[in-house]
Amino acid sequence: MKTNEVPQDITYYEGEKRACYALNDEGKYVIIPSTGWSAEEVFNSLAVAELAANLEETRKAVLNGFKSPLCYHMERRQMTPEILAKTAGIATFRVKRHLRPEIFAKLKLSVLDRYAKALAVSGQELKTVPKSINKEGNHH
Amino acid sequence: MDMEITAGGKPFVHHHSAHCESGVTSALFREKGVEISEPMIFGIGSGIFFGHLFFVKMVGLPITTFRGLPGSVFKKAGKRLGAKFITKRFRNPQKGMDELRQLLKEGKIVGLTTNIYWLSYFPNRFRFQFNGHNLIALREIEGGFRVSDPVLEHPVDCLTDDLERARFAHGPLEPHGFMYYPASVPKNPDIKKACIKGMKDTCNMMLRIPIPIFGIRGMRFLAKRIIASPQKLGFDEACRHLANIVRMQEEIGTGGAGFRFMYAAFLQEAAELFGSDDLKRLSQEMTAIGDIWREFAVVSARIVKQRGNSEDNFSKAGGLMLICAGREEALFRELHIVVRKLKA
Repeated sequence: MKTNEVPQDITYYEGEKRACYALNDEGKYVIIPSTGWSAEEVFNSLAVAELAANLEETRKAVLNGFKSPLCYHMERRQMTPEILAKTAGIATFRVKRHLRPEIFAKLKLSVLDRYAKALAVSGQELKTVPKSINKEGNHH
Repeated sequence: MDMEITAGGKPFVHHHSAHCESGVTSALFREKGVEISEPMIFGIGSGIFFGHLFFVKMVGLPITTFRGLPGSVFKKAGKRLGAKFITKRFRNPQKGMDELRQLLKEGKIVGLTTNIYWLSYFPNRFRFQFNGHNLIALREIEGGFRVSDPVLEHPVDCLTDDLERARFAHGPLEPHGFMYYPASVPKNPDIKKACIKGMKDTCNMMLRIPIPIFGIRGMRFLAKRIIASPQKLGFDEACRHLANIVRMQEEIGTGGAGFRFMYAAFLQEAAELFGSDDLKRLSQEMTAIGDIWREFAVVSARIVKQRGNSEDNFSKAGGLMLICAGREEALFRELHIVVRKLKA
């Protein structure tokens, strides 16, 4: 790759640039900051869309009473029950049970607190899901 | 390149790097007065690799890697250059944060292993649960830390809460607050000797691991799987798998073409160091191979985008990977011979 071939397709880097190694005119390798590559965006979009679609499905399932809000917040943080269990210090089989709405509803405050802390959400947030589609599922 | 001042009052120059681990390691060496570039660290630490771990799944997709295990570049490069590092892990997050603060107050800069999801200074679309991201803490500031993240262009501020979560995240490859800083670095390390060691190790890793999912054999293994994937998995699922491979190749700080360009940069630098025309030629060949990897990404993007309506299909993508495998095999076989003639 030559320096003038380093992709500068404006994509989704939010102003950040990534370092690419490329050959300059003298045939020497140098670092060129790249704003992003359109080919790469195809794949990133695919992955992002997939995450968003899964999250939206879970959100609907929670509103319809099939899953607990915990499941939504877990997926929003891109966690699995195993990772959440370790982060919150609660056994995996219990976390899996708590993904069922009827069991989640009966949880003690102390357990909810641990989940809220592990997922970096407030206690109130943990019990609900957004009413409309949440575009920035990643937000802090 | 940005100037920063550490808590000890020493200047620190931030270099934009392609890969986090080699970038952090080279910065730690530079801070100790040893001028060494990122590709040099990457080559000495035998960073380049290939593996297709079809049985290890992340979000339901098998892992394809273009480099060695996380942490191995730092470990190997440090050892081969004769540097001693102090490394620490913690059970208690509070203790881990306190000790970091203490070291920064003493004027040291500290390498940290973190989970990239919790670092909110990254663009949202880069943030995913991966426990192998490295950065350098420079000094404490109000409400957080000044950090030099080598894959970003400039140093940034990181919130205390973010950093604590990132250092003590759970999941595969848990960092446990892993931190490292040099205890002693030789003034004039024997770079030539280290290069030879690194290159020999790389040749062995690429050519001689007797398990068919690693090195050149791994590439051929994966290429065949790609060619068979639309029949085996169905078109959509095959696209998901293909997408994941290219993301590993391009997206996660590889410097382009799955580290191949960075390795070519290393070979170029080594060629100058040894005055070797053979290495120079091999560097050019590596660049050419990198360009084929990029073509593989372009073809794959067209497959995914045009849903199989174009001439590009999975056989073509797999075919390109087979070409890469063939040429890389020849390259590493030759490097194996060339490296034995080099004099440290």
